[in-house]
Amino acid sequence: MSVDLQNDGDSKPIISPDAATVSLPATGIATTTTPERKEPPPEKEADTRRRSWIVLSFWLITVFIGLPVWWNTTTIYRANLPLTQMTDWADGKACEPVFPLRIALDVGAMPEQEAQNLLRLTQHALDDLNDFSGHHLRLQLAQAPATEAAAASVRDDSNVALTIRLAPGDAAHAASSSLHPHLPILDVQYPPNSLPTANSPSSGLATYIATQLGSTFAEEQNIISYLLETSSITPEHRPKGISQEVVESVSKRMTRQLKYSQTYHLTFSLFTNGPIPSSWDIEAAIDEYMKPVLDMLRPIHNFTIDTQVQLYASPGVQSQVLGKEDLSSFINAAEWPLSPSIGGAPTVNFIIYIGNQTIGVPSEASPAETSQSWMIPQWGSVYLLAPPPAEAAHVSSETLKQPILTFTSHLLTLLGTPQSGSLPLRLSTLARIRSADLLLRASSSLGSLARLTLALPSISIPSNVADGVVKTIQHLELACASLGGGASSQSLEHARVAEREAERAFFEKSMVGQLYFPDEHKIAVYLPLLGPIGVPLVMGLLNEIKAWKSRRSQKLKAA
Amino acid sequence: MAKDNSSLQATTGTAGLFVVAAALRLLLFTAFPGLPNLLTGRVEISTPVTSFKRLQEGLFLYNHNVSPYDGGVYHQAPLLLPLFSLLPDPSTYPIFTYILYILVDLLSANALYKIAESKEGAISRLYTSPRKEKRWSGYIVAALFLLNPFTIATCVGRPTSVFTTCAILHAVAKALSGNIFTSMLSLSFAAYLSMYPLLLLPPMVILAYDRTYNPKAPKSLGQLAGMCTLVVGGSLGLLFLSSYALTGSWEFLSSTYGIQLTLTDLTPNAGLWWYFFTEMFDSFRSFFLGVFWLHLSSYTPALTIRLRQQPLAVTTLLLGIFAIFKPYPSIADTSLFLSLVPCFRHVFPLLRYSFVTSSVVLYGTFLGPAFYHLWIYAGSGNANFFYAITLVWSLGLSLLVSDLAFAILRDEWEVERPEMRGKEIRQI
Amino acid sequence: MKLPLALLLAPLLTLVAGLHTSNWAVLVGTSRFWFNYRHLANVLSMYRTVKRLGIPDSQIILMLPDDMACNPRNAFPGTVYSNSDRAVDLYGDNIEVDYRGYEVTVENFIRLLTDRVGDEMPRSKRLLTDDRSNIFVYMTGHGGNEFLKFQDAEEIGAPDLADAFEQMWEKKRYHEILFMIDTCQANTMYSKLYSPNIIATGSSELDQSSYSHHADNDVGVAVIDRYTYYNLEFLESETIGDLFDSYSYEKIHSHAGVRYDLFKGGADAARSRLLTDFFGNVQNVEIDGTRNTTMIDDELISLSKTIARLSELAREEEMAAKNQSDTKPAPRKVQVAKPLNDDNWWTKKLVGATALVGCAVVWGLGSYFEASL
Repeated sequence: MSVDLQNDGDSKPIISPDAATVSLPATGIATTTTPERKEPPPEKEADTRRRSWIVLSFWLITVFIGLPVWWNTTTIYRANLPLTQMTDWADGKACEPVFPLRIALDVGAMPEQEAQNLLRLTQHALDDLNDFSGHHLRLQLAQAPATEAAAASVRDDSNVALTIRLAPGDAAHAASSSLHPHLPILDVQYPPNSLPTANSPSSGLATYIATQLGSTFAEEQNIISYLLETSSITPEHRPKGISQEVVESVSKRMTRQLKYSQTYHLTFSLFTNGPIPSSWDIEAAIDEYMKPVLDMLRPIHNFTIDTQVQLYASPGVQSQVLGKEDLSSFINAAEWPLSPSIGGAPTVNFIIYIGNQTIGVPSEASPAETSQSWMIPQWGSVYLLAPPPAEAAHVSSETLKQPILTFTSHLLTLLGTPQSGSLPLRLSTLARIRSADLLLRASSSLGSLARLTLALPSISIPSNVADGVVKTIQHLELACASLGGGASSQSLEHARVAEREAERAFFEKSMVGQLYFPDEHKIAVYLPLLGPIGVPLVMGLLNEIKAWKSRRSQKLKAA
Repeated sequence: MAKDNSSLQATTGTAGLFVVAAALRLLLFTAFPGLPNLLTGRVEISTPVTSFKRLQEGLFLYNHNVSPYDGGVYHQAPLLLPLFSLLPDPSTYPIFTYILYILVDLLSANALYKIAESKEGAISRLYTSPRKEKRWSGYIVAALFLLNPFTIATCVGRPTSVFTTCAILHAVAKALSGNIFTSMLSLSFAAYLSMYPLLLLPPMVILAYDRTYNPKAPKSLGQLAGMCTLVVGGSLGLLFLSSYALTGSWEFLSSTYGIQLTLTDLTPNAGLWWYFFTEMFDSFRSFFLGVFWLHLSSYTPALTIRLRQQPLAVTTLLLGIFAIFKPYPSIADTSLFLSLVPCFRHVFPLLRYSFVTSSVVLYGTFLGPAFYHLWIYAGSGNANFFYAITLVWSLGLSLLVSDLAFAILRDEWEVERPEMRGKEIRQI
Repeated sequence: MKLPLALLLAPLLTLVAGLHTSNWAVLVGTSRFWFNYRHLANVLSMYRTVKRLGIPDSQIILMLPDDMACNPRNAFPGTVYSNSDRAVDLYGDNIEVDYRGYEVTVENFIRLLTDRVGDEMPRSKRLLTDDRSNIFVYMTGHGGNEFLKFQDAEEIGAPDLADAFEQMWEKKRYHEILFMIDTCQANTMYSKLYSPNIIATGSSELDQSSYSHHADNDVGVAVIDRYTYYNLEFLESETIGDLFDSYSYEKIHSHAGVRYDLFKGGADAARSRLLTDFFGNVQNVEIDGTRNTTMIDDELISLSKTIARLSELAREEEMAAKNQSDTKPAPRKVQVAKPLNDDNWWTKKLVGATALVGCAVVWGLGSYFEASL
């Protein structure tokens, strides 16, 4: 608008208020044209100047508004991403993926000197035993005696993964150990005479403890080593793994387990092949047999639950005895409503099928019996229940006990819970594995985004992607700093946020659209639309310049 | 009739005209109760930024203490809401709304009457047409406006563009009578309601300048322009502030003017934008929005410079251009343009394509609804059918605009070259 | 699991490494209108086949731009046939169309592949694959040199498709892809692909048309394309190589193309891939031993109760400590739906009326003063 006004202001001196008087034939400058045609009278100077002003007004708008508009609207916005930092994370340069596990040694009434000695020797033995540098067990002496109450309350602050509680036992027996059922404590009973002397180079007790620890954490080591192996981290930054074989042995388990999600949706379905049973006591059964485990997992996962019953449901396989091949097509994906699409959480399906079919695959342990259930990797599990006797339309909570317990164990497997060790230890291991997993995944997402940014120069990168990347890196750093903690460690929380932000940044909704726009398309867009506007503009300007030149030469001639 | 200049007779004549026009509208409202709602739904009359239906939606939300812009339906100025919320509910007592719209039409006609009676069309300060004798009186011009089927359809369809029309006509009328302040106030009302009238500011300033020009004490045009801009800016600011007070947030800016600027609502209308932007590549969308808006606004300075001597002609031609190239044009804009055209009765003999123009416009008028029906309801046509008709319609209007511009220029030119009167001319 | 046990498993492992855990299918028709009946029939035949071979509906993304079954010109309303014998109604029960009508756009297709979708997109319409998913991508419609038309309105270019696959690869969204396209000059569509582990095949070379197989006189239009027809016939074969060898100019009337070079291991590895690697159901179910079922028992349940209680206690303590140390957490701004209510009705009217009267007063004063001047 300001330009328009300015033009008005400019136009004032040219068309002076008494321009009406100029309507007399003016003695302008005649331009020479072909002599045959009747000469049009020469243009008045006021008219020429007026035309110049009009052409100028168009050009002013084009140059001062049009060009900036063009520039602003057709440039692709690409936010600045910390590319090197992102690649560093993906390559494992930014964070040493080392999981130091702190293990407290509670020596009870042992004298300080002896305790230190034992600690040193055990640490030695541990280091000798462990050839995987990514997972590091570090011993320390417990500050306070590990009573149950104390262990429960101080666990979070001390960040101790496991406490070894030493107690002198019977001198006749060799050392023995047992994991405490609901606290991360390893009770070791040792014969009093096995304590190392002040300067002995090795000790039976130390070696024993080290071996016990090694076997306790073997599974965790394997999994973490596998995760590092399959991550985007370049080999030179990856800690030396154990053997390739061991790493691959974990891979089957990893393919089975669900991708990490903070929330899972559990769907319990009862399918019956006839009209009954038509109701079940699922709520009570879940409360009784599954809820405690779900509660226990709460620091790591949340769960939502829904249930359904479908009568006259026919499975995908009709044969009476199901072979192994049949099991994979047993689920009638076409007719059974199994993907509720509720919310954004992945669904885990638990199906109880009541029918007459049996599994025809003999189990290895006891060939006489056949099992009743099978697990489908990354999906859920199925339990075949024999039809209840005597037309019972209701399935009692008691009948559901075995299926639900099976499902619970399947759920733990699907979530990737380690199979060995005491329950609290398995939980904290799960948390560590998951935070390592999330950390690596977030790092690899950053790397993917960085490579994509370089590979696709025409993709626009909105500023919230940059924000997401910054946030991801920030949380990755925090997670990296607190690696190796227990179930309630901050590491998992930070890794979770980092992963979520990285995913959000990578999957930014606006980073799509016509990526490929060849230049001939651009010409096809610009030409037909700008041609009709551009040609008169340019021609007008050219005419003005020509007229101005001829006027000048006339003047020169006259002079 | 045209020769009748007796003021008393004229007043009674116009009063009669107004009564007839009001009665005709009332008859249409009451005799065909379904007609208002039918016309309200027509895309040729109601656009997303003027629709009465959308106004009712906004009104409902407003009356229930929800931001009227929630839901993305209402895109009109916030001050319309208290006006309509003061009236009884239009669905139960529609008569009050009808009366309001009839009154607005009559007010517009009254302003138009004054414009025509000022004779500015043929005799401005700097220019007197040699054909100035040929002139229609205000009575005829007002009659042509009031009895124009487009105006009647607009009134019955009740889009809020009638308020803009009224404001623009009053701005012109007040400028002609030398009331600069009220003229600018009126223009800012119009700009507040539909934004595009802001582009009329330069010719309005010149109009006001010419009409208040005192040869003995000439004022500077720049000074006046600055003052006018101040008045318009100030009153717009006040209007925005009161809108803010009404709705409680600045959201209305993006929901009313933002919609016009970004064309997010692609409901079909009589204009050229919607189809183009449904087809446009997303990456070029904002660029071509810029191009279209620049195109629309680039006429203002050029026409103002070229027709400096006839500011009313500039206003008229600009209104014609807006009726074609606006983002959401409707026949309300056409009727506003057509209402000012009779003020240039003196150049009618110079129009070269009057027959073609009128047939093309009639063709568009009749086939537009038919093709729209084929596309939307019958399903036997597609969007191209309706778009083709909007092209024809725009072609007809642009023929009229360019023909009128030509006639006005020719009229001007013949003052310089009286010997060329009535002769064929050729562009060199 | 102990170390020695893991070592025992070692011989099995090479097999395990190449495992994929799910098969997905993306089936896209891109044409509208009745005379393109055959394209819809192509897609639906493919849909029926992959479903029959065991890919569950939740892992099939079906994009149908038009609804032939309900077209008024369909002489057999509610049905779609791909053969003039009309033995199989492709539009029978259980058709789950994920994207239909005007939802089938280039943008939605690319969004589907790259998973750049909003929160509002239901999971059933997303391609939730990971690095262990094999994806079968089938497209059919009208195409040309390096493009495939979508809905008569827009087109996807070969580079766009290649970039989309590359983004999938970068984000580890697939293990292997079998890309199959039936359109005119189809082979140009996969010429620009550059991401690894893709086997691509198309119906016709540059400057070659893809032809329909036969028409049904009662339906009135061609019902299936040649390439798709013969593909369906041979989908029961063993390996990818067998399927590709079945293509011949005599049958298809155009030169079907195959591209192996992106695949790890080249042509040999690609050709020896089983068709069930892409079309079948790959659920490596794990049957429980009877022993296994006792892994969780009452004791464990009571144990977990204790642990849950302990951690709950710990968390409460922590919360209490946090509450003491921290001041109030910053209030989260939540967008909530506003209730409709009629409160402040009179004030509202009053404010509105004041604003209007203000305008009128300004106008009146202006007129008055100017008139008196």
